[in-house]
Amino acid sequence: MRSIVAKGAPARPWLGATIASGGKVPAAEIVICSYCDTVHRRAEVPGRRTMRCVTCDSPLYRGNGDLSAMLAVTVTAVIAFIVANALPLLTLTSGSSQTRATLWRAIMASYDTDLPFVAIALTLTLIVAPAVELCLLLWVLVPLCLRTRPFAFLGTMGLLRTLRPWRMMEVFFLGVIVAVVKLSALATALPGWGMFGVAVMTFALAALSSFDQGALWRRAEQVAP
Amino acid sequence: MIRGVDVRLAACESCELVLNMRDVEPDASAVCPRCHAPVRFRKRNARTQVIALLVAALALYFPANVLTIMYTDQFPERRADTILSGVKFLWERGSWELAVIVFAASILVPILKLGALGFLVVSATRRSAWRPRARTKLYRALEVIGHWSMLDVFVVALLTAVVQLGQFARVAPGPAVLPFAGVVILTMLASASFDARAIWDRGMRE
Repeated sequence: MRSIVAKGAPARPWLGATIASGGKVPAAEIVICSYCDTVHRRAEVPGRRTMRCVTCDSPLYRGNGDLSAMLAVTVTAVIAFIVANALPLLTLTSGSSQTRATLWRAIMASYDTDLPFVAIALTLTLIVAPAVELCLLLWVLVPLCLRTRPFAFLGTMGLLRTLRPWRMMEVFFLGVIVAVVKLSALATALPGWGMFGVAVMTFALAALSSFDQGALWRRAEQVAP
Repeated sequence: MIRGVDVRLAACESCELVLNMRDVEPDASAVCPRCHAPVRFRKRNARTQVIALLVAALALYFPANVLTIMYTDQFPERRADTILSGVKFLWERGSWELAVIVFAASILVPILKLGALGFLVVSATRRSAWRPRARTKLYRALEVIGHWSMLDVFVVALLTAVVQLGQFARVAPGPAVLPFAGVVILTMLASASFDARAIWDRGMRE
């Protein structure tokens, strides 16, 4: 075993250490930066810090690989998702008539008034995509937390990876706020409890992407070699 | 610094497992033993794909901004808004903060993304040594802000849907919605196709 250089490690402990060329290190201890291809040796992460690449400063991996915490956040997101869909997003008052607009009623209304394209696009991005993603996460996390291998693990992880870049909850959240302001020209619009659900879900999904996804793979390898 | 391609190590893009690729040609791919995804040193045909997607996005950028994105019909007033006049409308209603956000998300971000990705592809192709770290940061910023441009599409769809519930007005999406959504999706695909390692393949400083 040749020497292992830990460049920058003492001065900036959150940086991954770089292995010297030819140094024999088990593959599980190597991390390669996906932005610049620099090879690092995996080091202990102090706290929940993000380890960054010594060459290009991109995030390499995170210390937060606690699967039960990840499950807890997922359950929070599921509850928030139900609240966001069941309770009115906003209340419209125009003259004497008052309308409580839940997401689903709004979608159905646009479907009935010959705007099926809008209805389908909203259903897919705001109801189907988050519901599928949360179900897949539960599908993977519950068995892993119980230390068994999830059924169809590879396919599920592949689907989750495909869906992740298209997650748009936070954009939708801002979209509702802009819509409320624009609506105030036409009627009196007030945000409802459904908005609260959307807000919590936005933060829960953001928290989910701050977990170390590699922890899922490592746990799956432990429970079924 | 040691680079994966020099010591024949590559990480699986889908599960991050590091593979010893000693017997694999630089352009060939191996199969990840953990998740069965193909593993290669660099994304295949990255440059061609990025350029093709950028050209398509640029072509859609003009109809997206010139055509009407939303019709509003509340007796006796009838409006047809483009993205820019929608921003003006928000500004005049007194919520200049939202006007700035929508202007940034809908007009500034798409054109900046097109320009920045074009710059990254050209500089990487020319094997430029100019500030590779800053260029990598620029690329990561593009990845983060990419989907925020969908904001206007959501606003139009939501307004259309919500207004159907009350009987006080009519809102309908205009012909600009599809090209606009197209610009956002194509630029997102373009930045996903770019391989940031190309920035470092010759511009590497010791």
